Amino acid sequence: MASEKTDVVIVGVGAAGGILAAELGKAGMKVVGLERGPRLTTADFTPHDELRYFQRQELRPNVKRQPVTWRPNANARALPLPVLNYGNQAGGGTIHYGAVSWRFHEDDFRARSQTMERYGAAAIPEDSSLADWPLTYADLEPFYDRAEYELGVSGKAGNLQGRKIDGGNPFEAPRRREYPLPPLFVDQAGAIFEAAARKLGHHPFSTPRAIVSQPYRGRLGCTYCGFCQAFGCHIGAKSSILVTKLPEADASGNFKLLTGAMCYRVNSDNSGRATGVSYYGPDGEDNTIEAELVILAPFIYDNVRLLLLSKTARFPDGLANSSGQVGKHLMAHIGPRVFAAFDDRYVNIYMGPSAQRHSLDDFNADNFDHSSLGFIRGAQISVSPADLEAGPIGAAVSMNPPPGIPRWGGAYRDFLAKYFARYAGLTAQTENLPYADQTIDLDPNVRDAWGLPAPRLTYDWRRPNELKRVEFMVRQLEELGRTMGATHVWRSPPGQGAPGAHHEGGTRMGSDPKTSVVNRYGQSWDIPNLFIIGSSTYPSMSGFNPTLTIQALAYMSADAIVNRYKKNPGPLA
Amino acid sequence: MSEHDASRREFLVRAAVGAGAVAGAGLVPETHAQTREQDRKAKSETNAPAGVLNYIDLALAGAYADLQDFYRRGLAQLDAYCRKTYNEPFVRLSATRQDEVITALDEGKAGGFTWPTAQEFFNTIRTHTMEGMFADPIYGGNKDFAGWRLVGFPGAQAIFTPADMQSKQAFTRAPILSLQAQAQGPTRKE
Ligand SMILES: Cc1cc2nc3c(=O)[nH]c(=O)nc-3n(C[C@H](O)[C@H](O)[C@H](O)COP(=O)(O)OP(=O)(O)OC[C@H]3O[C@@H](n4cnc5c(N)ncnc54)[C@H](O)[C@@H]3O)c2cc1C
Repeated sequence: MASEKTDVVIVGVGAAGGILAAELGKAGMKVVGLERGPRLTTADFTPHDELRYFQRQELRPNVKRQPVTWRPNANARALPLPVLNYGNQAGGGTIHYGAVSWRFHEDDFRARSQTMERYGAAAIPEDSSLADWPLTYADLEPFYDRAEYELGVSGKAGNLQGRKIDGGNPFEAPRRREYPLPPLFVDQAGAIFEAAARKLGHHPFSTPRAIVSQPYRGRLGCTYCGFCQAFGCHIGAKSSILVTKLPEADASGNFKLLTGAMCYRVNSDNSGRATGVSYYGPDGEDNTIEAELVILAPFIYDNVRLLLLSKTARFPDGLANSSGQVGKHLMAHIGPRVFAAFDDRYVNIYMGPSAQRHSLDDFNADNFDHSSLGFIRGAQISVSPADLEAGPIGAAVSMNPPPGIPRWGGAYRDFLAKYFARYAGLTAQTENLPYADQTIDLDPNVRDAWGLPAPRLTYDWRRPNELKRVEFMVRQLEELGRTMGATHVWRSPPGQGAPGAHHEGGTRMGSDPKTSVVNRYGQSWDIPNLFIIGSSTYPSMSGFNPTLTIQALAYMSADAIVNRYKKNPGPLA
Repeated sequence: MSEHDASRREFLVRAAVGAGAVAGAGLVPETHAQTREQDRKAKSETNAPAGVLNYIDLALAGAYADLQDFYRRGLAQLDAYCRKTYNEPFVRLSATRQDEVITALDEGKAGGFTWPTAQEFFNTIRTHTMEGMFADPIYGGNKDFAGWRLVGFPGAQAIFTPADMQSKQAFTRAPILSLQAQAQGPTRKE
């Protein structure tokens, strides 16, 4: 049993934790990072191997060792999810993510007010806990800017300080300056999507991605090999934490990374102050770290689980949970899809960065009039390979054949042989509303490899507002597919209620300690020397992928800690 | 593989043949021109086309060893279902009947399955067959890139040029790139 003392302990060194480690280290604070996985290097990511990384998910949390269970409602039995969408090594999810990197819209931060102003309070489903964020887009803009420039994001501005720019996303919130790197080269799927969307009067653009389109800060530009989603980048062109912030943290001389370190408890004293954390080391030994400041950044499941596992006499319902909100308002994207296949041309969708390539934002957020639609909030629409990953295993397991063709046998073989290199997938990534009864708690039946109860999700997106939105979006996708000139256009089967990618909520931020767990900086209302960072703090989720916003918030928290909290530890709000 | 004892060897062959027969029926390029009957005959002999059998065999002995019981139970239930419905085990059924059985599995309509359920069993076999077809040949399937050639996938290319990305034609630049050159893989010796 080892014990050590430090200024700051950060649990989870991923998308968010890596930024905090570098920023606090550079400011002279002694930082220990606890990461349950290993620290790999760019050289470890060759050769690309679809079976190993996509199908067997080698870089992701292992569903047997680290299960997360799911049930559609409180009466059903929870079963382990088959795939987990976050990280499992230094750099976290940024190692193997698709690197799609958005700034949220202005109205994403005030979805409740926006809806009430435009459609009236009755438009919000009664059982939804939709809430405004305790900050505005303008508050976060400087930190989005830092994230884009320090990490390296490629894209084209659509709104420069209020001036709309052709070729970018005209619906984006105003940005102070251009992206640091020009957009990635457009592949054929993107080109056909672009033409069709323009024909329909939409506003398509190359999706902003944290993949450098040119050499940047000593890193090589993208080679368009296509192995992004589920893979580590073999040349470091993906702006993962491993090649961006960890070297900065190392260079600060104040950062120590402990790998193979599984945190299982946040320790606190009678006064309700956090005193540090306990963790299991690589050989299972039980260790503690004493710290002045405890920062949780292990993604939403362990943000919630660690609080629930760390209850005390003072906090009988979970640490920092006087509000009773810990574990509530779980959200997730779901991605209804349509496939388009072409008889008269090849698409070769396995070329180029694999995830959402070309996008349109016309049906996202409140960018379109919902008055007569019967639902609120929207979806981000894009063109992608079957599972945002472009190899043949991905196509075979994730793309249903068109109606009339079974999933096996000669007709299926002929279908795949003909269309694997001639199809494009269309996806809508929906902004599902928060509901208080969508929760994360501790599974009483399933334990992880460390003997800890697994996080259990209770969630079913199939609510009236969400079902109507999905149907509306699928129709847009079908229209796009037909306008692209596809010979065949068909839907993927509807989901069975399970959460899709990008999970949010569980420790929501707010401006009232009675109804939220943390303030805008991720600082616990109950325990000012405990910060909880990541998408668990989102009060609503946006149709955009979450990570750049997670990272902008991490920069904002780091800034507040370095410039204010450090001088005068106490509540920041 | 000398450490395979005879019964495990037989189980694995049976599992893989069953898998190949169930999900791979007709998926295999070399048999494109053959009739379904010839196709089936080839499959029930020792070597599954395109190495799918070899892939599943190796996987069940290694990475998927924890699924041996799943396969054993699934195949037993499959044969019980076929005997009950047609008085014969799956591999002896005619092509039409096999198709009926597979359809029943796919749709979850085959009776008598408890664990795995018919659909779980079918989905797993299907997934493993696809892996055997399309995983890098280093894992024992996708023989001579049969799967990749079938669909026109060039393997793990390190780079695509702007000209590649602008082309509306099939990508044909050789060579197909695999891991074989880069590592010494689990090659089989009988
Ligand atoms: C295949 C895939 C593709 C994705 N594509 C995109 C995309 O294109 N765009 C986008 O915005 N998002 C994408 N995401 C989501 C993205 O990865 C996450 O939003 C992001 O990584 C979350 O950041 P985080 O810092 O909260 O968690 P992570 O980055 O996951 O980091 C958390 C770290 O904490 C560690 N950890 C967890 N629990 C403990 C514990 N108890 N003790 C010690 N360490 C612990 C984990 O090992 C992990 O390294 C994708 C995810 C996946 C899996």
